[in-house]
Amino acid sequence: MIEVKNLVRTFKSGDRTIKPVNDVSFELEQGTLASIVGKSGSGKSTLLSLLGALDKPTSGDVVVNGVSLASMPDGKLTEYRRRDIGFVFQQFNLIPNLSAVDNVMLPMEFAGIRKAVRLARAKELLEQVQLDPEKHIRRINRLSGGEQQRVAIARALANEPKLILADEPTGNLDEQTGEHIIELLSSLSRDHNTTILVSTHDRQLANKTDRRFRLQQGRLTEDPARTRIAATAPA
Amino acid sequence: MSVLARSVGNAFRNKVRTGAVVAVLAVAIGLALSMLVANQAVAAKVTELNASVGTVLTVNPAGGQGFEGGGEPLTAEQAATAAAVQNVSSVVGTKALRLRNATAAAAQAAAGTPAAGPGGGQGGPAGQNTTTLTTSLTAAVDAGTLGNRNQAAEGTTGSTGTTQPVRSLPITATGIGAEVDSTGKALSITEGTGLGGYAAASTNALLGTTLAEKNGLKVGSTFTINDQTYTVAGLFDAGTTFGNNALYVTLPAAQTLAELPGELSTMIVTINTLENVDSTKTALQSALGTDKADVTQGQNLETAVSSLDSVKNISFIAFVAALGTAGLIILLIMVMLVRERRREIGVLKAIGAPNRTIGFQFVLEALVLVALGSVVGAAVASFASGGIASALISSNTSTTTTATTWRGMPGGAAGFPGGGAGLPQGGPFGGASQLLTTVTASASPGVIATGIAAVFGVAIIGALVPALLTARIRPIEVLRGE
Repeated sequence: MIEVKNLVRTFKSGDRTIKPVNDVSFELEQGTLASIVGKSGSGKSTLLSLLGALDKPTSGDVVVNGVSLASMPDGKLTEYRRRDIGFVFQQFNLIPNLSAVDNVMLPMEFAGIRKAVRLARAKELLEQVQLDPEKHIRRINRLSGGEQQRVAIARALANEPKLILADEPTGNLDEQTGEHIIELLSSLSRDHNTTILVSTHDRQLANKTDRRFRLQQGRLTEDPARTRIAATAPA
Repeated sequence: MSVLARSVGNAFRNKVRTGAVVAVLAVAIGLALSMLVANQAVAAKVTELNASVGTVLTVNPAGGQGFEGGGEPLTAEQAATAAAVQNVSSVVGTKALRLRNATAAAAQAAAGTPAAGPGGGQGGPAGQNTTTLTTSLTAAVDAGTLGNRNQAAEGTTGSTGTTQPVRSLPITATGIGAEVDSTGKALSITEGTGLGGYAAASTNALLGTTLAEKNGLKVGSTFTINDQTYTVAGLFDAGTTFGNNALYVTLPAAQTLAELPGELSTMIVTINTLENVDSTKTALQSALGTDKADVTQGQNLETAVSSLDSVKNISFIAFVAALGTAGLIILLIMVMLVRERRREIGVLKAIGAPNRTIGFQFVLEALVLVALGSVVGAAVASFASGGIASALISSNTSTTTTATTWRGMPGGAAGFPGGGAGLPQGGPFGGASQLLTTVTASASPGVIATGIAAVFGVAIIGALVPALLTARIRPIEVLRGE
């Protein structure tokens, strides 16, 4: 379970103070597929960075399964990212000179998993995200955008994280590929009981998630009509 | 894929750039290794010189080193006096003889040319301390321009318009009291044995290799000096053509041949340690008397060692500088790569890579480049080190060598057989140039391994700085750019 408590992040821009995240609080049950909708620059990416321990809040806290991120030293935060978080980025952010399977194996290597185990798991994950087996050993720069995003999702799942943070995962993809990616995330959320939080400015895409949040000028509100507790979601 | 495999892969991401970096590194590493090889070779030579001849003093009759010679010959009693001086570990007497081929001497006498002309080009007149005898041997080297000029009748130096008879060089014969050459160094016997008992007159002789070859002699062959038959007991190699146009007999045998029993041409005095050389030299000069003997330390040797020390220092500084350059190249390249891959580092951190893993990956990548540079650099060094060492030595010693060639040679008392086509050689110490040319700079595996270890050490330091820079990259800063 993830609890976000009065989270604030401010930046200085000259004499002005900007608050992309302003007193945000919410809870997500394990296995929920949720979305945050908002315009560009509304603070979606900043909120995801705080949840993923890529950035530190000005105030407030994120508590994951009872453990507060605010009190964690940097080394522990790295471990938290490695073990508990999976990232999916708009730009995919894969390592270009490595193959698809090598990219998926990377987080497992950092977690100290044996090569044979991580190779088998990487292939299994790539099959789950429906990447053609012939393309497993292809270099990333020889894959299409949709294929790269599938590899990025497989990489995010590598260490079986509790939470996957997907920042505009369909932003660089065409509509049809984007729908496939969301369907994929939805099924993974159910199959792996993984909490997935997707930031997007696409309302259609957001409508396919269990819970929908709206971020406006740093304030988070939830669309109650869409709220569905993950625990009650079909397995 | 392991960190090492990823590092190797990263090193070859841009093959053109990798090739350029390896080429630049190879030049710096090759230069560093060449300088180390030169440094080690020169250091070994300095040690050898100090150990062998650095503790040797030479005693000549007073005035014997001047162009006109003079003074009284040294005696066995003076050798005993020298041996009694504190810190003197040994005294070896020598008696120099000049041998001329009996047939050639007769022909030259018939032509009216003096049989015994002045000494060698660099040696000055023979002086009163050398006795000329006849032999069945033929000199192994031609007289050359200087030899012919020096042996011509007095006052005929230069073109006279008359045909001069072909002249031969005399052969150097030295009576020695121990198995050493006239510099105090152990003789390098290549065949046969030594003379055995050096304190007794015998009819055995040691011949220089070229002299033996010229006369078709082997170990066991015989030849004559003043109608006395001698047997070749062994062959030695002095390392030079003129040095090998010589022979050694026992000291008493030479004194008997010269009919001057108890008389010495020179004394080679060995001091127990290098530190005692200066004080013992003073004490020895005092004991023998300045009017009786000249005690010299071989100025040319000091100069040679000094020159070699200078080369050693220069090569060491150049080694350190080249090493530093290699380290700087690595530092700059890796800083550039870290800046170029900031986003990738941010992604690695976002997916949980610890700082040490990322830093280690960059250090390994640097070491891959250094390893490639070292392979090429070692190949460069193995070919270039000899030339670089020679260039360093010659550029540092040319002035000194010219000076010592004329200043440091004792007179005819010991260094008489000059000659050749212009470049003087020989003499008791062989000249600084001769010593320096014997420095052999070979790229031994041990020296190369030491150099490469130093290069890797510097490369690790150079790569650590950019590796530490990666720790300061915050993933949010590079990912926010999306």
